[in-house]
Amino acid sequence: MAEDFDNVNIEDLEAKDTARKIPLGWLILFWGLILWGIYYLAMYSPVISGWTQEKAYEESVTK
Amino acid sequence: MHDYQYDHQTVKGFIVSSIFWGVVGIVVGLWISIQMWKPELNIPPYFTFGRMRVVHTNGLAIGLGIGAIFGISYYIVMRLARRPLLFPKLARFHLYLFNAAVALAALSLFAGMNQTLEYAELEWPLDIGVVILWVMFAVNVFGTIIKRKEEQMYISLWYIIATVIAVAILYIVNNLAVPAGMTKSYPVFAGVNSANVQWWYGHNAVGFIFTTPILAMFYYFLPKSTGLPIYSHRLSIVAFWSLVFAYLWTGAHHLVYTPLPDWIQTLAIVFTLFLIAPSWGSVVNGYYTVGSDWSKMQTNYLTKFFIMGITFYGLQTVQGPTQAIRVVSQLIHYTDWVPGHVHMGTMGWVTMTTAASIYHIIPKIYNTEIYSIKVANTHFWLVLIGQLMFSITMWITGIQQGALWKATNADGSLKYTFMEGLAKNYPFWQLRTVAGVIFTVGMLFFIYNIYMTIRKGRALAASQA
Repeated sequence: MAEDFDNVNIEDLEAKDTARKIPLGWLILFWGLILWGIYYLAMYSPVISGWTQEKAYEESVTK
Repeated sequence: MHDYQYDHQTVKGFIVSSIFWGVVGIVVGLWISIQMWKPELNIPPYFTFGRMRVVHTNGLAIGLGIGAIFGISYYIVMRLARRPLLFPKLARFHLYLFNAAVALAALSLFAGMNQTLEYAELEWPLDIGVVILWVMFAVNVFGTIIKRKEEQMYISLWYIIATVIAVAILYIVNNLAVPAGMTKSYPVFAGVNSANVQWWYGHNAVGFIFTTPILAMFYYFLPKSTGLPIYSHRLSIVAFWSLVFAYLWTGAHHLVYTPLPDWIQTLAIVFTLFLIAPSWGSVVNGYYTVGSDWSKMQTNYLTKFFIMGITFYGLQTVQGPTQAIRVVSQLIHYTDWVPGHVHMGTMGWVTMTTAASIYHIIPKIYNTEIYSIKVANTHFWLVLIGQLMFSITMWITGIQQGALWKATNADGSLKYTFMEGLAKNYPFWQLRTVAGVIFTVGMLFFIYNIYMTIRKGRALAASQA
């Protein structure tokens, strides 16, 4: 019988020499999106910026 | 002592069942795609678009998707725990009950029983069945992981655990309803609350059925079939935790410009955009993994499935967040762009990754090789062409539709009637059917290859017995 025929050695799945690396570009993306999120949240939250979708609609039809 | 063979037959049972329901779902999908431009193909009451569309979505999400996820998750869990399933008989019963449930689900949807919540259409008796199925799955997955013989938990196990927990919570909460007879019920949430819960569920069904379990497959089968270890373990883990943290906040992006409070919409948009980072964590990890030896694209036929799959995932996870932004949403929401987007995920990322995993598993179970790499390559190219043609035609007509709807005359009246917009869709809908046919032919090559491999494996086993 083919017992244990495909058993896994975890080290075959995870690289040793690069295991702890995180590419710089990815880190910039990660923190950049968090910063953008804070900005967008402030811009489009009625209690912070006063923006509402009703007002935005009114503006768009009076233009 | 280790009886892997019994569990492998269960795994194979799930795979074969999922392929069967996949054929049903794809045929129904082709049919409804023709209904869009040839209304005569609506045959009331059972074979109308309204009923068949839900058979298509449920048949493929539950039948093909979850069926394959059950089987392949069992396979991965056994490998990574280095032991057979803790409850082999339960898993086998799980398989039988799964097929019974999918069959009943399809019949009930054809019969018009429907909670009218998207992707949660099944009425309450079937909901209970789904919960029982899920508990059976959870007991075996968690039991086997707890009793594992490998101390370290590889990333795929984390993705499977997240799937089991998240789907359980989502499914139960969105299906809370007061029964009114065996085939009718009323949801406990109403109005805006119902919409909010529904899309919290609807979006995360995509997250925890079409994303996390498929990533579990990707992280396991990519290194297994190429022999290349995953580039960065830390990146896998950081991407995993940021993905599961962010996903559950994003559902309200389906309700942009609705009566849902503005701040909830905004919060959902912010988390949706953030999701690009964890998603691309896996994309980058996949590319860097194969990047250590690109010749694998030529020497190993499965590599291109995984790389194309993760590329579709990368495209999807930029496209989806972009759609959530208000200015984009107001153009493409409610248009045919949306099915174009969804199908890039399902036909591209999910189907390619799942098919590649099955190509790996079936020969392993029988200790043999795949029947034909040539057939697999034909499958790959047809599916790729069919999928791209599907999404691109829908993107074009979706943008056109949105632009026609938004066009107004100087006095504010609509420039185009609904019928004018509709008529412009017809050529694109016809092209979509052609795309669907190409994709289906590709899938037939896949099924033939798997069938022949199983036949070959059986003959081999018989000759050795």
